[in-house]
Amino acid sequence: MEAVLIDGFVLGLQFGILGVGLTLVYGLGGVVNLAHGQMAVVAAIVAARLIDRGASTAVAVGAGIIAVALLGVIIDRTLMQPVYREQSDHRVLLGLLLMLGVGFIIDGVLEWRYPIEALNLRVAGGPVEVFGVKVRRGSIVASSIIGGVGLLLVVFFRYTTLGRATRSVIQDEEGARLCGINPSTVRTAIFGLSGALAGIVAMTQAMTSPVVSTAGVGLTVFALIVAVVGGLGSTSGAFLAGILLGLVNTVSATYIGTFVSSIILLMAAAVTILLRPQGLLSRA
Amino acid sequence: MPESNTSPTLRAFSPILITLALLALVPIWSGDSRSMMTVVTTGLAFATYAVAFNLIFGSTGQLFLCVGALAGIGGFGSAILSERAGLPFLLTMFLAAMLAGFFGAALSWVAVRRSLDTIFTGIVTLAFALSFENFVLGRSDLTGGENGMQITAGSETVLGRQVEPYYVFLALLGVYLVIYRVIERSHIGWAFRALRDDDVAASLAGVDVARYRILAGWIGSTMLGLSGAMFAHYRGFIGETTFGFGSIDVRVLVMLAFGGIGSLIGPVLGATVFTIVDELLADSAQVREVIYGVVTVILFLSFRQGAVPAIVDFVGRVLGRRPAAKAAARDRE
Repeated sequence: MEAVLIDGFVLGLQFGILGVGLTLVYGLGGVVNLAHGQMAVVAAIVAARLIDRGASTAVAVGAGIIAVALLGVIIDRTLMQPVYREQSDHRVLLGLLLMLGVGFIIDGVLEWRYPIEALNLRVAGGPVEVFGVKVRRGSIVASSIIGGVGLLLVVFFRYTTLGRATRSVIQDEEGARLCGINPSTVRTAIFGLSGALAGIVAMTQAMTSPVVSTAGVGLTVFALIVAVVGGLGSTSGAFLAGILLGLVNTVSATYIGTFVSSIILLMAAAVTILLRPQGLLSRA
Repeated sequence: MPESNTSPTLRAFSPILITLALLALVPIWSGDSRSMMTVVTTGLAFATYAVAFNLIFGSTGQLFLCVGALAGIGGFGSAILSERAGLPFLLTMFLAAMLAGFFGAALSWVAVRRSLDTIFTGIVTLAFALSFENFVLGRSDLTGGENGMQITAGSETVLGRQVEPYYVFLALLGVYLVIYRVIERSHIGWAFRALRDDDVAASLAGVDVARYRILAGWIGSTMLGLSGAMFAHYRGFIGETTFGFGSIDVRVLVMLAFGGIGSLIGPVLGATVFTIVDELLADSAQVREVIYGVVTVILFLSFRQGAVPAIVDFVGRVLGRRPAAKAAARDRE
């Protein structure tokens, strides 16, 4: 049971960061990035290709994350520009449909060019004992990285100019503009950051089990559920929801079955929308 | 609507007649080949999905991302009732369509009661669709899970022949189009247009927004269920992906992106073009998904009203017949 809980917690941290990436982009520009998981897989496959060609793991991982951050920036600067010109419901709908299309393109290219490629960053060495439970070494490394990234994000949003600007644009785009913040620049930077976060999640996942080229849709669905349960636009809500749902998912998958656990997660999202559309944390 | 003679009625329904007449000619060149007949009949089934989705999304702005799941409730529902419970398949198709209609109305009801906007309606229905897929995989005792399910009921009727099923689906499409047009021309259609343009204004003007949204959800979902059920009995085999999000919803969205959301014949045109392109790309199946993605992005970026209306408009402008194009645009709304 303890081992299951720790696995669930590690998965939950990863879910959390995935959800944060999705929720940030939605909060800033109203775009539901239905290609979020596919972007994570792009990072993994770039890294895997580089490792195949003899690059060192660190270089490959770095290159993968940078590549997907760039992809995010490019998508924001090109495809998303017409979306940002729209208002309210039209903007959300157009953004959603366009990113759905982008998801197909990425999935299609991956399936076409690299159908059997997978990223495997298994961490060497036997299991480590934590609180009397044997935990895989990969899980430890993965959760430390994710935890570190989470802390960096907190610092980023609290103490850096860009981070504060991001929060102010999420709260009130017009007000931020009046204070001299350029929302468009912030959006581009955050779309890139969101991509990088997705890439980091893919790398940490690869430390415990291989990330295959078809994993994208599944990751997108997890990210969406987490972001919804956390309240679209709320980063701390997404992180908390990620941990919670990671635990729920692992426990129910172990003791009931994977299909049921997927349905539980999906229902969690639906019920959240129906009962607390603002998400777990926010009052209102 | 003042109708001094029959010509407005005739004009309203003539696009349907022309479409059906043209589509009725297809088996002349594809009738000899069993595989080609499967392709075009499946295309017609998709046209019925697109028309039904258009009634829900195009008419009342409810983003149902569970077209496949609702059709699947029809397909699996009818298959399970006829194969496992031994009921006659006409009855099971009816029951399964009712069941799909019930689910669609329930989703609509929930969305309306919680006043969900487009995005949240989309996410809730997407969650429903993915849950349905997991249910199909998980309850393999009922649905056959990953192995799929053979369906023998209905195969001894016209649905089991080579060319006839095409006309069965064509008749179904005709019925759906007539229903769409009749609704559009009735007071219901008037309410649909009002609430789609501005639901607050509509409700202030005395339109019962909730009732009309649920009505659209119910009728459209019943249509989806019936199409799905008929498709299941026609194909004789359904599997986990037959009614999946990736195999139905995505395609229907591309069809609507091409044909135009909220138009009468647009979804049929979209389905036709999609079926032709799909068949042309059959040899390069791997690139297909990439091309669909690119096409979706381009279509949604460039033609917000759908490609067909945009092309009609363009042709009208080239021919210097601006008023005609405008009339067509008014007709669509």
